[in-house]
Amino acid sequence: MTQSPTLSRRSSSSASPQPRKSRRRGADARAGYTFLLPWLLGFIALTVGPMISSLYLSFTNYNLFEAPKWIGLDNYTTLFQDERFLQSVGVTLNYVIFGTPLKLAAALAIAMLLNSKRKGQGFYRSAFYAPSLIGASVSIAIVWKAMFGDSGPVDQGLSFFGINLGGWVGNPNMTMGMMILLTVWQFGAPMVIFLAGLKQIPADLYEAASMDGAGPVRKFLNITWPMLSPVIFFNLLMETIHAFQIFASAYIISNGEGGPAGSTLFYTLYLYLRGFSDFRMGYASAMAWLLVIVVGIITLIFFKTSKSWVHYSGDSK
Amino acid sequence: MIDRRKFLGTVALGTASAAFLAACGQSSTAGQTGSAENPVTINYTWWGNDDRAERTRKAIALFESKNPDIKVNGNFTDFAGYWQKRATEAAGGGLPDVMQWDLSYLRDYGQRNQLLDLSTVKINTDAFDKSLLPSGQIRGKTYGIPTSTNAFAVYYDPAKLQSLGVAEPDGQWTYKEFNAFMTEVGQKSNNVFYGGTDYTGVWWMFNIWLRQNNIQAFTDDGKLGFTKDDLKKWWNTTAELRGTPALVPEERVTQLAPKSAMGSNVTASEVTWDNFMAGYLGDSGAKEMKLVPVPSDDPDNLGLFLKPSMLMVASAKTKYKDAAARFIDFMVNDPEVGQIFKTSRGVPASKTQRDGTTFEGTDKLVVDYEKSIEKYLKDAPEPPIVGFGTLEASFKRVSSDLNYGKLTLDGAADAWFKEAEDLIKQNA
Repeated sequence: MTQSPTLSRRSSSSASPQPRKSRRRGADARAGYTFLLPWLLGFIALTVGPMISSLYLSFTNYNLFEAPKWIGLDNYTTLFQDERFLQSVGVTLNYVIFGTPLKLAAALAIAMLLNSKRKGQGFYRSAFYAPSLIGASVSIAIVWKAMFGDSGPVDQGLSFFGINLGGWVGNPNMTMGMMILLTVWQFGAPMVIFLAGLKQIPADLYEAASMDGAGPVRKFLNITWPMLSPVIFFNLLMETIHAFQIFASAYIISNGEGGPAGSTLFYTLYLYLRGFSDFRMGYASAMAWLLVIVVGIITLIFFKTSKSWVHYSGDSK
Repeated sequence: MIDRRKFLGTVALGTASAAFLAACGQSSTAGQTGSAENPVTINYTWWGNDDRAERTRKAIALFESKNPDIKVNGNFTDFAGYWQKRATEAAGGGLPDVMQWDLSYLRDYGQRNQLLDLSTVKINTDAFDKSLLPSGQIRGKTYGIPTSTNAFAVYYDPAKLQSLGVAEPDGQWTYKEFNAFMTEVGQKSNNVFYGGTDYTGVWWMFNIWLRQNNIQAFTDDGKLGFTKDDLKKWWNTTAELRGTPALVPEERVTQLAPKSAMGSNVTASEVTWDNFMAGYLGDSGAKEMKLVPVPSDDPDNLGLFLKPSMLMVASAKTKYKDAAARFIDFMVNDPEVGQIFKTSRGVPASKTQRDGTTFEGTDKLVVDYEKSIEKYLKDAPEPPIVGFGTLEASFKRVSSDLNYGKLTLDGAADAWFKEAEDLIKQNA
């Protein structure tokens, strides 16, 4: 366990005292940046540039046709009087708070099942990963819409058990459940990462625990969870950020309107409608930047709190 | 195993997506006009389904064979995506040379100098009804030429009515009678289908009702011409029907979208534009649908008008004004183009084109309907206010929330008025 940090420390300390090597390092860096250049140019032109201009636009009234008019913080202040905006915040928070933990729980549970030694695990791993490969696509959203519609398979299946909910797609009280199911079903990406993490936990820890008479729950709480905590942290962070950005599936399931009755009006969908349907690009830019800031703050909070529950192998504690 | 520094280094922080503006510039080619050896190419874009694409392709081929000095490069999308695409193109200064257009968006682009004043180029409008042309005009400039007209109507399925023993309506009816008709159908059909769709959620039907009550939807200076009470009264017209078999539940409507309830065989009647006929028949597989006038409490004033179902416009920045004008002239006037499109764009607006087209079957039904209401027709509406497309969408949305019971009548009226006033202030 302590081998890899020692290794890296040795290599870094041996490099610094020799000037010849540092010159070569400069050349290496130049070569590195040269190879990085195509990506770097794309990043500046297609990501940083538009982000800066959207920051500027967020302080203006811009309708795409006429030059932007500077209005200061007006966009940001009107946001909080906009009922549809507040609705979209509520919908999105609901989705993040309930959808993300459920998805991670599903991913971890399946990863643990797939970690045991059984025949045909390779097949199961591929099979469980498959939904997340296609899950974000347009076609799956369309399939989802058909499945949860009136007389769709879900409606019929539930009716068989005497549960008569009708189609979920048209029912404002059911759409959130449907959207969360869709994201939970796409647990493949975090699952693969969990699986890789689980493989890293030395088997002798479990053996030792078994000797001491620990049951499966005890092993999970005292070995799996702490050993896996960096991976859990990583997945939690990525999936939370990901959940805030939900757009495509909501757009398709609600025909781009966020209905029924605003129940799928996710933040990014409302942002899009404001920008491209209502031609209020300044307003939409303000929304985009508010989202960046909020996601940034949430990330920061995650990092701060992580110290108390995430354990790294190099730590002395 | 998992080292903190290495690990944190790999944590890439995803950032929230920002809105992008795709600026697509257009490169210029030589000369204003072309010749048969060296033709100019103009871009034409429209919205519609595959059927319209096929018809348009034929019309373009015909145009090119008659005008060897011009090539037309066609491109199409669906209606919703269409406007988002135009918006980004306009921002980048690269609108296509000629475009199919909708009345709802004429002011947004015309008033902001994105469209060519077509009175400055040669397009023959002699064969057009004089009451129709103002629909394409704003402040003395002609931004759009109507290709065709449509009018509001009540659709019904005679076979469905017959199966229930309900008499076919004659279109001389008040709102009360129309509601009674839908109620009767709903009760007798035993949940197999519904009487109709809640028509109070349709902006244009509201507009017609306002006209029946001699109220202008928008004042000349671009403000709302009606009050909250008018709107509440309107939404209340079907209050007693909601939640009964007379009206298809909003849950169903939402799930059927983008198809309509009538097109999905879920209702026996629907109030909408008459040129949807071919689409509805195709969607539903019904053998026949008939058209009658909308209800009115004043039998002499049905509030009906012919609206340009679509317009032809040109980009203000087109380099080929002459070619664009010739293409528009051809599309709106040529009888052979009428033969190709029939009533799928609406009834041809130009008399030359209309007279040169033979209408049979469903096409004849639509043409006959527009003839039958001729004596009730009033002037076509002015191009609605800037941002009207948004208002129309929010009207539908707020009505839907009302239908879901998510908003009270007062709440719905407040919500819509707030959005409308905000939008009008925004664009003032």
